[in-house]
Amino acid sequence: MSSLNASLATALTGLIAEQGAMQVTTNNVANVNTPGYSREDPVLVTSDPVAIGPLTFGTGVTLQSVESIRDPLLESQIQQQTQSQGQFSTLASALQQTQANFISSTSDIGTAISNFFDSINQLSSDPPNLSLRQGVLTAAGDLATSFNTAANNLSQQQTSLDSSVVQTVTQINQLTQQIANLNQQVSNLQNVGESAGSFVDQRQQAIDQLSGLVDVSVISANNSLTLTTANGVPLVTGQQSFQLQTQITPAGLHDVYSQGNDVTSQITSGQLGGTLQARDQEIPAIQGQLDTLAAGVANAVNTVQAGGFDLNGDAGTNLFNPPPAGVTGAAASLSVAITDPSLIAASSDGSAGSNGNAEAMYDLNNQAIVAGQTPTDYYSGIVFDVGNDTANASAEQTASSSILQQLNDQLASVSGVSLDEEAANMVRYQDAYQASAQVITTINDMMYTVINMDTLTV
Amino acid sequence: MRIDPNPYPDLLAEVAQTQQQVNTDEQEIASGLSVNEPSDNPGAAALLVENAGQTSEADQFERSIGSIQGEIQSADSTLDSVTTALQQAISLGTEGANGTENAADRAAIVVQIQGIQSQLLNLANLTYQGNYVFAGTATQAAAYVLDPSSPSGVTYQGNTGVNRVRVGSQITLQTNLPGSQLFSASGGNVFQSIQDLITSLQGGNTASIGTAVTEVGDASSYLSEESVFYGNALNQLTSQQTYLASDTTELAQQETTIGGADLPNVISNLTTSQTSLQATLEAIAQTESTNLFQYLK
Repeated sequence: MSSLNASLATALTGLIAEQGAMQVTTNNVANVNTPGYSREDPVLVTSDPVAIGPLTFGTGVTLQSVESIRDPLLESQIQQQTQSQGQFSTLASALQQTQANFISSTSDIGTAISNFFDSINQLSSDPPNLSLRQGVLTAAGDLATSFNTAANNLSQQQTSLDSSVVQTVTQINQLTQQIANLNQQVSNLQNVGESAGSFVDQRQQAIDQLSGLVDVSVISANNSLTLTTANGVPLVTGQQSFQLQTQITPAGLHDVYSQGNDVTSQITSGQLGGTLQARDQEIPAIQGQLDTLAAGVANAVNTVQAGGFDLNGDAGTNLFNPPPAGVTGAAASLSVAITDPSLIAASSDGSAGSNGNAEAMYDLNNQAIVAGQTPTDYYSGIVFDVGNDTANASAEQTASSSILQQLNDQLASVSGVSLDEEAANMVRYQDAYQASAQVITTINDMMYTVINMDTLTV
Repeated sequence: MRIDPNPYPDLLAEVAQTQQQVNTDEQEIASGLSVNEPSDNPGAAALLVENAGQTSEADQFERSIGSIQGEIQSADSTLDSVTTALQQAISLGTEGANGTENAADRAAIVVQIQGIQSQLLNLANLTYQGNYVFAGTATQAAAYVLDPSSPSGVTYQGNTGVNRVRVGSQITLQTNLPGSQLFSASGGNVFQSIQDLITSLQGGNTASIGTAVTEVGDASSYLSEESVFYGNALNQLTSQQTYLASDTTELAQQETTIGGADLPNVISNLTTSQTSLQATLEAIAQTESTNLFQYLK
């Protein structure tokens, strides 16, 4: 047989449960604008019933747990997309800076090449003219300067990207340490069966941040979480983080090491992947093309110079200082070898008025002297490559941003806090609380009736 | 279905995207170009590099033509003067061959022809901007110098070199003829013929004078034939100038086609983008917190 006390206890569970639910709603409302917060739901379950004689009575409600509402699949997709977004955002930004060297101007390399050959053509109309000869030297100097400027800009950009590598590795190490610490807190709570929602949110947000920096693969098992790069470089195992290191190479750039192994080439995504791609692939490729172009032009001009005669009737000497063997560094080091305009070997027969060699030098403009192409064709190829790579990286960035936005929308539709929903819940819990309170009041009245039964009897 | 309760990130992303489009449109309108950096259109950017190279080359060819045109015109008119001088010498020689002339008359004619000889030497040593035009490529020294030991009275000290200047991507033009080909060629030696005329007049043999006059006539005819070179060169230059002017115009049109902004279209896009931006901003303003809490009093 039931009792008023049992009813009172049952009503009390309602009060306690609704208070707990209200606390969850309060927390949700408080975190409505907290980045990375996943809304929580109170899990209310019926308390175990009691059997009294032939009857079974319920014993109220229990707030069993507070559950974070999340979607692991979406979170995983967001991590992957964040990696792509980080990679292409960094790459696009770097290439935007790179392509500034190839925007058409009065001093870009293409214009300088044209001006140089034009000055030679002008000289061929009056070979002994010292002003025109000086014009050739000036144009040659401008050509060398345009190569030097572009090459130096690329080198500076590479150095800047290298600094970024070091900084990014430091950020990665901070985040992996933070994730390892959070792993421990999550594990401690989950091992005693408590909800670790807030810590899981913080950890998830740290993983998202880490995904923006480097490619991350997440393996979750037994309340523990392991992070590696996509190529298996360990980052976090449970409560231990594996710090990445940077070491300077003979080339003056920093490589990334893990556990004593050079893992630079294994990092393919995230901001670090994009930075390494720009530093180690894109910029060196462009530098190589510039070197080929500079060396091709300088060597061809020097060869023609050697076949002609200067204004004094002497055999021509180098107009440009010879590029380094193997052409690496040719663009950065290109310089004019002569300062005396009379040393330009315009003559093909040794007489001052001959322009045969100047014409031969001018004709280089339309000859395949740079890797099987004319100088202008080769340069336009560089412009295309730089523009194409930049456009592709920008397009990839836009696409990944768009996908990431959609994924975030989807996740927010699952995990985001809705104030409407919370307001409705608040009303619901308040009503339930009031009802339970009313039940207690009624039971109290009933108790009063029972206790005062003798005085009430007439 | 539960929807994303926070629309602001999407709206802000939309604002950023639209603002970027507005910026792009404004840049195109300001520069008049649709390709302001290689990534705007890599293929077009590469074509513009080629176009700029060709335009620069065409401009240079025009400048080169301007430079050599003056020299060729000068050479052409000088050769006309030489021909005129030779005609004068022929007239004087014909007069000297007339049997009615006495020795004094012939001596006077010789003096006049010697004046012509001197004039011819000056004409053959024409300079243009400090260069001896008829000295082959040895332009820093006079083409001819007086040489009493020479049968013709002069010695050619130039060479037989010729220059060619590129005035089109596929066209080079020879810009000179050496003096040895014009004034002292075996087929018509101007200086030798004049010297022979002077010698025959001084000898007084009318038959010899007649032969010398014929020799001067032959030299004049030969020179006239050779002079055609300069006339042809000038015609070629004029023709090439016309072509280059048209080529430059065509290249400019190509440049506009490849990289010029389609202004009506861009302006229309800009208007659309601005309208879209304004609408998005208004949407954000109207998305102000309308939620259930406001209605629970």
